[in-house]
Amino acid sequence: MAPATEFQGSFLSRISIRRNQIISMDVNHEQELEELDYLQKHVSDRFSELISPPPDTTEAPSSQPSDPILSIPWLQNLLDVFVSCETEFKGVLLSTVQISRSPSLERVLTEMLDRILKALDLCNAVVNGVDSVRQSRRLAEIAVTALKQRPLCDGSVRRAKRALASLIVGLNGDVKDRSNGSSSSSNKRTTSRSWSFGQRSNVTVVGGGGSSGHVSKNWSATKQIQGMVANLVLPRGAEATGAAMQVYIMSSVMALVMWVLVAAVPCQTSNVLVAPLQLPKHQSWASAAVNIQEKVGEEMKRKEKRFGCGGGGCGGLMEEMQRMEKIGLSLLEFTERFRFPAEEAEAEEVAEKVDEMDEICRGMEVGLEDLQRQVRAVFHRLVRSRLEIVSVLEQTHAI
Amino acid sequence: MAGLESKIPVPGVKNHVVEACHHVVKALRASDNNLDANLIKLLSDLETHLSTLGMADTKKVVEDTGFSEIKKRFKEAKKVILAWEQNQSMMIFDAGFSEADLFFQALYDVQKVLSGFKALPSKTSKKEKDVYNQAAVVLDIAMLRLEKELFDVLNQYKQHVQPQHLSVSSSRGKDIVLDESFVSLDDEVIAEATDEQQILGSNNAELVDPLIIPHVKAIAKAMFACDYSQTFREAFIAVRRDALDEYTATTLEMERFSCVDVLGMQWEDLNVEMRKWTKVLKIVTQFYLPSEKQLCDNILGDFEPSSSTVCFVEISKDTVLSLLSFGEAVSLRSCQPEMLERFLGMYEVSAELLLDVVDSLFPDETGSLLRMAFHELSKKLAERTVTTFLKFKNAVATDESTRAFPGGGIHHLTRYVMNYLKLLPEYKDALNALLENIQVDDSIQEKTGQDILPSTFSPTARHLRSIVTALESTLERKAQLYSDQSLKYIFLMNNCHYMVQKVKTSELRHFFGDEWIRKHIASYQHNVTDYERATWSSVLSLLKGSSNDSAATSRERCREFCLAFDEVYKNQTRWSVPDPELRDDLHISTSVKVVQSYRGFLGRNRIGEKHVRYTCEDIERLLLDLFECLPSPRSLRSSRRR
Repeated sequence: MAPATEFQGSFLSRISIRRNQIISMDVNHEQELEELDYLQKHVSDRFSELISPPPDTTEAPSSQPSDPILSIPWLQNLLDVFVSCETEFKGVLLSTVQISRSPSLERVLTEMLDRILKALDLCNAVVNGVDSVRQSRRLAEIAVTALKQRPLCDGSVRRAKRALASLIVGLNGDVKDRSNGSSSSSNKRTTSRSWSFGQRSNVTVVGGGGSSGHVSKNWSATKQIQGMVANLVLPRGAEATGAAMQVYIMSSVMALVMWVLVAAVPCQTSNVLVAPLQLPKHQSWASAAVNIQEKVGEEMKRKEKRFGCGGGGCGGLMEEMQRMEKIGLSLLEFTERFRFPAEEAEAEEVAEKVDEMDEICRGMEVGLEDLQRQVRAVFHRLVRSRLEIVSVLEQTHAI
Repeated sequence: MAGLESKIPVPGVKNHVVEACHHVVKALRASDNNLDANLIKLLSDLETHLSTLGMADTKKVVEDTGFSEIKKRFKEAKKVILAWEQNQSMMIFDAGFSEADLFFQALYDVQKVLSGFKALPSKTSKKEKDVYNQAAVVLDIAMLRLEKELFDVLNQYKQHVQPQHLSVSSSRGKDIVLDESFVSLDDEVIAEATDEQQILGSNNAELVDPLIIPHVKAIAKAMFACDYSQTFREAFIAVRRDALDEYTATTLEMERFSCVDVLGMQWEDLNVEMRKWTKVLKIVTQFYLPSEKQLCDNILGDFEPSSSTVCFVEISKDTVLSLLSFGEAVSLRSCQPEMLERFLGMYEVSAELLLDVVDSLFPDETGSLLRMAFHELSKKLAERTVTTFLKFKNAVATDESTRAFPGGGIHHLTRYVMNYLKLLPEYKDALNALLENIQVDDSIQEKTGQDILPSTFSPTARHLRSIVTALESTLERKAQLYSDQSLKYIFLMNNCHYMVQKVKTSELRHFFGDEWIRKHIASYQHNVTDYERATWSSVLSLLKGSSNDSAATSRERCREFCLAFDEVYKNQTRWSVPDPELRDDLHISTSVKVVQSYRGFLGRNRIGEKHVRYTCEDIERLLLDLFECLPSPRSLRSSRRR
């Protein structure tokens, strides 16, 4: 309990560890390199799969077309990849820690603890954000119900228009917030405040981006991501081949995955960074990750251009949300020019779009719930990893 | 209020309705071959009903005056609905029952017009189609009005019930802070532990004014009937979710913290928040949510029971997850021994809620995310609590000092540990469950005659005793630091006596058992004997001599005795025996021994009065000053000159 004894212990242990290190340096170093190679290959392979699925069709008999980037199934794959990298990392780390420990490793592990902590908050925010997407889905369903009415008439079109307008606002909650000049992160109360009937508009804003603040008002996912990468530096010299490198790789993977989630799901963001990570492109493990980062970055820019929100990018890049928005906008346009009675051709065209919207909704219904579950599973996994790293650090002190 | 089934004699419309229903039934049958049995039965019932209706009708129908009649009715209905559209500031509910009834009646008229047309779109003329189109718009206006009404009524008539003795912010008096030296937990902290048991007065509260329930149900009924059920649910969820959020944040004053916040928090602040959380989670889950669920069932149960569950989960989700995530965040902290009681409290409430309400609140697939989250958290808290418990024991076992504790009084470690242990019986069920499979060395092996209470042999009891055993060996080590043997015995006596007192006068006695108490009373009594031997044997031996000693020798003996006595007096008046009874006992037994020997000595030997420095009465009086913990050595000369 007394800090003095703890310090003494760790001091002594360092001396003895050093001695061991020197004696068996060559053997250990070789093993370390092997472990590192293994991790790099794993990260590289799994991330490549995300962009182009394995060509080996025998392994995947149901050879479906690959899921579009940022779609719910793709995000689910991303989380799977993350979990599998994390598992490998822990295996590699624990065996590396057995053979060599150094103050610098302790430092990078401590930094990693801090990153994991931020990632945990991000997971919570994403779970919350997924809920707001589910709210959007429900608004879309209202529009679908209304536009499926036959014969199509002014009453149901009016209803659809209202739902669609709310949907569009909801899907771009962040954008709306900023253009209003209100404080960066809307919190929960938005829901009731903007529940505006009658007078000004018929828009009922339920949810949308950042509708529910999961923590304090000035918490922002952007800041968390920034905090995660702020002290993430590529190890150099002797460290570049040791455990510090493993920690660096895993931290990068974690930051990247969190960033993609924050970009895909509306969270409490002020604005999303276009490219948070300076990944070492030339290293094999990073190339696929860089590729993903660039692709998401492009999506972000594209959306930014469409909405012309100066400054940062926009969240809510989830593929389904974007499709929903696109169809939503065209349906909204239809509702604006609709005259009763509808012409045959027009009604058919709308029916097609409505069906498509309906399909997105149905896909989301299951997908979002699963995604939420998966993010929570990642949360628990990170909690466990954090505990394991803490105990590694404590062991170091206890020797 | 008006129901859909209310009969209005509009033969034309009625025919349309009946025909429409036939169509619906036919379409449903055609749509899917695998209709389930219930639905098939429902459909055939409906068909029977419809056919009788149709038969009754045909008798009445003389001519189809339909359209103009429909138009007339629709116009009136539209007037009613649009009048409310002009009057947005007033709630329909506040206008009274008959006004509201008129509104709903009008709404159903419009709906009937619509369903009549829908059944026969091809047969209708342009004029009729226009009426249909207008009716749909009016219906939508009415629906939007009802959405607003729902929102306003639920907001206006919500009730934030304050459970009795709720004040979460007032904590149980002083907080326990454990620093490295275990100094802070003193005796006065303990008293007020049990005022929180009856937080929950009644089990179910009215979260909204019961008066509005029929009105809200009527809104639900209307919106469901017009295929606006999704809109109803969205509005209902939004209002109720915000109400819960407001209740937690404002009434219960529970702030939302991120993991980063919680890990950065000072222990004093965290302690308060953990305590508050334990109460808030209990209130929200055991009191508020069941009421909320009941409200959902009340309003939606009649229309769509599944809707009720979905709404309830959506309403609760945000708040429940944020509450649980605080627990998760706290579990991330490294377990410090001082967190034990808070963790116990948190674990206990989670375990209790799991047993009690969680599974019934979130029973099926819809609530599985929340149900799982509860289970996960409880598991994690259990783990952390056990770790903290073992850390606590370890901290007690390994506490070291470099200097002897001045005065031989009760060590702060003893105070801290015993007072802390006194808090634990309150959590005995939780502790028993948690510690059952944790190995422990117990001082009492098996049931031996005296102790019959099962609690004495519970896992909690075994672990509590083992903590005290750890404490005893730590104290033994601390006692070795005294250079004065007598003071060492006083120290051990004081501390052991303190433990026995704490056990005897609290719930702890049922855990420690009579045998333990007896053993430990014997133990400190042994310390008393040891002390008397160590201090007084040598002093009193000075008074022993043969009967034929010369007067001068006796005088010398007396002088030496008085000098030795002075020395003892000087030292031992600075020592401390804080317990007055124990001090009295010690005074008496010492006095009996010393005064008796001295009196005997004076009686046996003729020593001139001027050579006797202390009379027996002096000695008796002076002995009372021992163990009074006097700040500075008292000069005997000044005390004599009184």
